[in-house]
Amino acid sequence: MTKLSKRTLIIGAGLAALAAGAGLMVLGQPAQAAVATGAPAPAFSVQDASGATRTLAEFAGRTVVLEWTNHGCPYVQKHYGSGNMQALQLEATEAGVVWLQVISSAPRQQGHLDGAGVVARVRTDNAHPSATLLDPSGAMGHAYGARNTPHMFIIGGDGRVLYQGAIDDRPSARPSTLEGANNYVRAALADIAAGRAVQVAETTPYGCSVKYG
Amino acid sequence: MGLKCLLAALAAMAAAMIAPATAQPVRTANVEAELHSARAAIAPGERFTIVLRQNIREHWHTYWRNPGDSGEPTALTWALPLGFQAGPVQWPAPQAIPFDILVNYGYSGEVLFPIEISAPADARVGERVTLTADAYWLVCSDICIPEDATLTLMLPIAARGRDDPQWAGRVAGAVADLPGRAEGVGARISRGEPARLSVTLPGAEDIRNPRFFPFDRDAMAAAAAQSPRIGPSGVSFTLTAGAAKNLGHAVLEGVVTYEVPDAASWTRRAVEIAAEPGPAIAETDAQAATISSDYPLAALEGVRAAPGMSAVALVVAIGFAFLGGLILNIMPCVLPVLSVKALSFAGGAHGGQARRHGLLYLAGVMVTFLALAGVLIALRGAGAAVGWGFQLQAPWVTSALALLFFAIGLNLLGVFSIGGAVQSAGAELTSRGGDTGAFFTGALAVVAATPCTAPFMAGAIGAALTQSAATTLLIFAALALGFALPLTALSLAPALQRLIPKPGAWMERVRNVLAFPMFAAAVWLGWVLTEQTGSAGMLALLSLAAALAFVLFVARWGRVWLVIGVAALALTAAFMWRPLLGVETQAVLVSEPWSPARVAELRAEGRPVFVNFTAAWCVTCKVNEATSLANPRVARAFAEAHVAFLKADWTNRDEAIATALAEHGRAGVPLYLYYPSAGEPVVLPQILSEALMLETVEGKPP
Repeated sequence: MTKLSKRTLIIGAGLAALAAGAGLMVLGQPAQAAVATGAPAPAFSVQDASGATRTLAEFAGRTVVLEWTNHGCPYVQKHYGSGNMQALQLEATEAGVVWLQVISSAPRQQGHLDGAGVVARVRTDNAHPSATLLDPSGAMGHAYGARNTPHMFIIGGDGRVLYQGAIDDRPSARPSTLEGANNYVRAALADIAAGRAVQVAETTPYGCSVKYG
Repeated sequence: MGLKCLLAALAAMAAAMIAPATAQPVRTANVEAELHSARAAIAPGERFTIVLRQNIREHWHTYWRNPGDSGEPTALTWALPLGFQAGPVQWPAPQAIPFDILVNYGYSGEVLFPIEISAPADARVGERVTLTADAYWLVCSDICIPEDATLTLMLPIAARGRDDPQWAGRVAGAVADLPGRAEGVGARISRGEPARLSVTLPGAEDIRNPRFFPFDRDAMAAAAAQSPRIGPSGVSFTLTAGAAKNLGHAVLEGVVTYEVPDAASWTRRAVEIAAEPGPAIAETDAQAATISSDYPLAALEGVRAAPGMSAVALVVAIGFAFLGGLILNIMPCVLPVLSVKALSFAGGAHGGQARRHGLLYLAGVMVTFLALAGVLIALRGAGAAVGWGFQLQAPWVTSALALLFFAIGLNLLGVFSIGGAVQSAGAELTSRGGDTGAFFTGALAVVAATPCTAPFMAGAIGAALTQSAATTLLIFAALALGFALPLTALSLAPALQRLIPKPGAWMERVRNVLAFPMFAAAVWLGWVLTEQTGSAGMLALLSLAAALAFVLFVARWGRVWLVIGVAALALTAAFMWRPLLGVETQAVLVSEPWSPARVAELRAEGRPVFVNFTAAWCVTCKVNEATSLANPRVARAFAEAHVAFLKADWTNRDEAIATALAEHGRAGVPLYLYYPSAGEPVVLPQILSEALMLETVEGKPP
């Protein structure tokens, strides 16, 4: 590729974007299956609600759950309104698992919170995360290919992705669908605790879109 | 509540009164939903189709059966009378809706979901049944809101079922638009990374924007490029595996959508496929499929659809636009307007003034053309499929232009003179001696030119419309320059002005002769209007033309006559505007055809009946229909009293109607009969009024 053709490409993309007009959304880069199940999880370095910088490396040797969340999303509300998510958080953290909420909502987008907002939110929800990570730039979300809230990832002690996808098998915002749902995260954590391979290691996540800027 | 909402609500009320199948629209914050039946009455054992209609707020979406990366399909939970059964929701072809790194599958605007219902064989004739559905949907723009509504549909059971006049056609249309399994469409899904889906499709080499939508959420990554390719046998797609990771190992079901070219633009089509695992079908990947720049996933597919014009192509398009503009000067819509202006240089303006006028004329042409281009760009940006001539798609524009040409023709014939007591708005502006006059001559010439397309112009404008806004404006500017050149050149060059013969009697003859191309243009626009609005629009146009001619003619007699003329025009417009603005008068009171048997049937049901004996050629009838019968309060009273509205149309010879008229001592129309729910029919006067109609249906006959 010569420099000229690259420039042509950029100009062309600009023209196409112009022509797409006011009504159409311009796509960002399509990040598809950003992380393969079984592959090392992307490293991250983001601030938590207290302003401290948190990295994946500090949890080496422990099982880590990542939960992408947005308190304005009806799917997230289904799991918090019913106490379902908090119960799972409590179960996991009491068993020694690190549970990290991740907020990738950009400023002024639904679900965006600053540190103080997170503290208040966690108290309101009576939630039990080990920490809540603030990713307003969306860098961590894009690295993981997080599409939905809730979108769940489980990372093993060796830093590999052991599960990614939905929280359960009921892709609906209706609270009534919780009854009898098969919770994939609970099942995967049980497999990991028992030293088994995770039976269902990848599902299609469901929920709201992550509100990247 | 806007006028449209009001009319829609009244139409619904009127429909409820005539067609006994009734439902109520439910409005949530973002969606209006309602059930509609193709059948106004159903027979025992009948299998029929209803639709769930969602009218979704602008910029919001509801979802397909597979919602894609986020969202959730609309769900119905039925509560049905004993023995009734409802089939599954049938899903129209979805749109791909990109959002950041996601692609969702869903709908916007108004969407109809057909659902089959079967009635039990032992349903009791004469009863009304209520079908109730608890509807749940997720509606999203950048955020999502779950909404629910309880929808009901009441249907009478009758010995013989009958179609709903309003909905039978629309329901049939919605069913016909569902993606079907077409004959001879085969599909294969191959294994491997990436997997390749190939589909046989006749005429695939002409299609654009193809995409595959799987039924199963887990089958395929929704937000991945599919790099569609086409060949003589069909179309093929590269698919990225979803969580199920079974591409090429299991039957893959879904819908393929694509666009096919038709006369003016592109039509979206959809076909349902079930791809068997196996090697790709041959001759389905000869070349990359065309992706248009307005396709929502154009960026995802990484295709610069309409390649930016090369410099040479741009110069050629500009040249053609200039040439087209030049030729536009001698088109019959424009030449008369310009000739008159050109003649003014023979006798009137000279020197510096002529030059200034010439440049102002150029400015008028330029500004008007660029404004038209701007409107076109804005409409296209809003997603409308518009091309040149879009302005003539609105009946009011067509009729306004026809009237303008008619008035210019009258002016050229000397029926009225510009600068006299009265002028049409355009004529007034163009007649202003001096600067504004020159500018508005340019604007008027462009307006007059809009129905005409000169050679070379179509190609240039076609090219312009696929390009960026800046390029579009550039090409339109070239068109404007070419269009303005002859007259501007004339104004700038005294040598050219000297070529025009000395003023004399010949000028008047030229003016008069030029009136006739104007009339011809008006006739042609009148025909266009007939195609758009039918005879109602033509009647309105001709009435307005007569009134306009009247006002232009009598204005010379002084102020009093001018007032009378304007009043006549205003009165005509007040009666006639509806078809030209696309407002259906019938939308207020829905009628069904009259027959003695239908009257007997309705009376047997205990319903009051109003019969309108009318004919298209009966002026009294039309006045009554346009005033009293089109009155919303009357329509509401009809709906509340559950009065059936029957229309006996005597426009053509009809034995049964003639007999009925004779029975009531009439030899002609109008005749208005009102059958109360009990008792003898009442003959109403030939001139109706709102008060009379209200008294009649509210049971207090005068």
